[in-house]
Amino acid sequence: MEITSFFTDYTLRTITIGTAVLGAVCGMLGSFAVLRKQSLLGDAISHAALPGIAIAFLITGTKDSNVLLLGALVSGLIGTFWIRGIVTKTHLKTDTALGLILSLFFGFGMLLLTYIQKQPNANQAGLDKYLFGQAATLVESDVVLMVIVTSLSLFVMLLFWKEFKLLLFDKEYALTLGFNTKLIDGLISFFIVLAIVIGLQTVGVVLMSAMLLAPAAAARQWTNSLGVMVFLAAVLGAFSGVFGTAISASQANLSTGPVIVLVAAVFVTISFIFSPYRGILFKQFRLLKSRRELELQKTLYFMYSIVEDHTDISKPHAIKMLNNFKGFTKKTLAKLETKEWIIIQGQNWSLTQTGFLEAQNLYTNLPDKK
Amino acid sequence: MNPTFEIQLIAAITAAACAIPGVFLVLRKMALISDAISHSILPGIVIGFMITQDLASPWLILLAAASGILTVVLVELIQKTGLVKEDTAIGLVFPALFSIGVLLIAKNANDVHLDVDAVLLGELALAPFDRVFIDGTDYGPKSLWIITTILILTVGLLLAFYKELKLSTFDIGLSSALGFSPFILHYGLMSVASVTTVASFDAVGAILVVALMIAPAATAYLLTTDLKKMLVLSIVFGVSAAIGGYWLAKLLNGSISGSITTVLGVLFLFVYLFAPSKGLIAVLLRQKRQRIEVSLLTFLLHLNNHNSTEERNVAHLQEHINWRSVRANTVLQLAKNNNLITIKDNIVTLTQKGLEFTERALDYIISNKDEKIEDMKNDFFLFRG
Repeated sequence: MEITSFFTDYTLRTITIGTAVLGAVCGMLGSFAVLRKQSLLGDAISHAALPGIAIAFLITGTKDSNVLLLGALVSGLIGTFWIRGIVTKTHLKTDTALGLILSLFFGFGMLLLTYIQKQPNANQAGLDKYLFGQAATLVESDVVLMVIVTSLSLFVMLLFWKEFKLLLFDKEYALTLGFNTKLIDGLISFFIVLAIVIGLQTVGVVLMSAMLLAPAAAARQWTNSLGVMVFLAAVLGAFSGVFGTAISASQANLSTGPVIVLVAAVFVTISFIFSPYRGILFKQFRLLKSRRELELQKTLYFMYSIVEDHTDISKPHAIKMLNNFKGFTKKTLAKLETKEWIIIQGQNWSLTQTGFLEAQNLYTNLPDKK
Repeated sequence: MNPTFEIQLIAAITAAACAIPGVFLVLRKMALISDAISHSILPGIVIGFMITQDLASPWLILLAAASGILTVVLVELIQKTGLVKEDTAIGLVFPALFSIGVLLIAKNANDVHLDVDAVLLGELALAPFDRVFIDGTDYGPKSLWIITTILILTVGLLLAFYKELKLSTFDIGLSSALGFSPFILHYGLMSVASVTTVASFDAVGAILVVALMIAPAATAYLLTTDLKKMLVLSIVFGVSAAIGGYWLAKLLNGSISGSITTVLGVLFLFVYLFAPSKGLIAVLLRQKRQRIEVSLLTFLLHLNNHNSTEERNVAHLQEHINWRSVRANTVLQLAKNNNLITIKDNIVTLTQKGLEFTERALDYIISNKDEKIEDMKNDFFLFRG
């Protein structure tokens, strides 16, 4: 399988573009979901969309993709608004509301699906591909729909960028400025539900929540700017789609959805560990560095406390004196010498004048302290 | 025992076994952990199967429960780094684990009946067919034995640790100050939830376990704030949904776990709308009433500030406070009915009672001391807080 077959082979090309576009839109909208602390909304909505699919089939009797997706959209929206209703009007918390809508709607959907399966109509096979998605069955019209939805989301996002950003970070201020927060909120939720519904047929219900979350969580680690984060999340999402498709295509028996999710998870892990400001690795380095810094100061102060009562502060003392003191290392001594705060002669150290002054002012806040 | 009875018995006992940890999960705001655990036990099961090659081996349950606990550990590890919020951590861990499970199935166990549908839905209808035979005597369905054991264990743990659980759920600071280990209680609860999930999903599937844990507890929470009552109500709701769901499934010829979930949903909807003080309808009515009372208070305070007759004309007041006539009339009526004002020739005057009322309300607003308005609480929603 060569690299060019990604462009020449119809199926591969379609799937690659489809999953890339899906990854991008999930990254974009997922950034808002993650920052609004509605991460698991994606999970809840993807499950809530199931009865809509079943009811759409029951009403129309067709398996036309668009009809079913419309049903999923309606059902997902009902779920979203019921979640909001539960959270605002009762004392049940967000996680309870999400868990309720998730399981109750999905269970209802499964009941309908099994009811449909027992019907004499032979048309109902394959409704359950919405559970796991089958990226392999994507056709060009599906991808076109995805591109349209993505462009629309992008357009709306750019149009309302300032309002979205304001609502995200300071809702009360937005209210006082007179914005209709309910409308803006509803707009964001609508597009999130739309993205989920579109993604259902690619990665399926269960894995959709990861696609909304992972690129955004990964992108968050690299920047504090919303615009950069959204862009980066879109890029990471797209890459997850492309790599995931490539990997699953290269091996037999690997369904695309789970592989895409695992690729995204790898991106997240890398971001968690290696990102410069927030990453765990560099945080650890910085911690060690400041610890060493602290130990340097403590050693210096210890030396000062030994020396301060002597009339001659430069009297040498044995290095062995410091042995009982924690935090003293050869490196610390060498560093102190480089800073010209001490002089080391053989097995002895002695405090210099600058070192003495430095130690004296270590724990005070004198204005002329450098 | 005939299969109909057995299925309902299994469903009911599963419901009871799930309701108990469910109550604590809902109260601790950890409802979605149940969702995470139910998805992430999949790789545990698959690995167990790959090792033992035996679908009926108890290793599957143990490894599945272990991977449930692994999920919780991973989630908390991620939370500790502080890099993402808690719900994000959950949403990252379980799809990853679930994907690993799905891929493992596809790669290795493709020709075996590790049907993902069965994992999600369970198949209660088939539960009576898997029976326990000791020395040739039929002791009943295997799932019944497993879930009954779990229920007895759960109830035992609940009774033994009731006070500790109650305290650590509602006041974690006090419980650790008193020397109870919130860590052990937390992981104990997680382990019980994990084991219960695994034991239940064999019969009812992953989604129903989530529903059985959260929905009865949430429904009960809308009706009471007493922990004991909440536990009892959850069990009652769970069991009735289990039995009702079975008959609905029979009627529609659909999946039993799906219909149990549907019944739970209908039950929740009903309570959500009609619960006495927390239901949606009650809340909306109360909020409407409070809005009118705020308007009344505003109106009376405003009246208190105006002494000249022109300014106390009905129409003028309406204009001054900028209310539309319907609202103005409602408020006027309310005030008149409570003997707080009199209206003569379209001029509104505060009565003695009205005067006292406004003075006391002002006192309350300024000082925020409850005793200023103690006796007014019965008449006005506004002051009930």
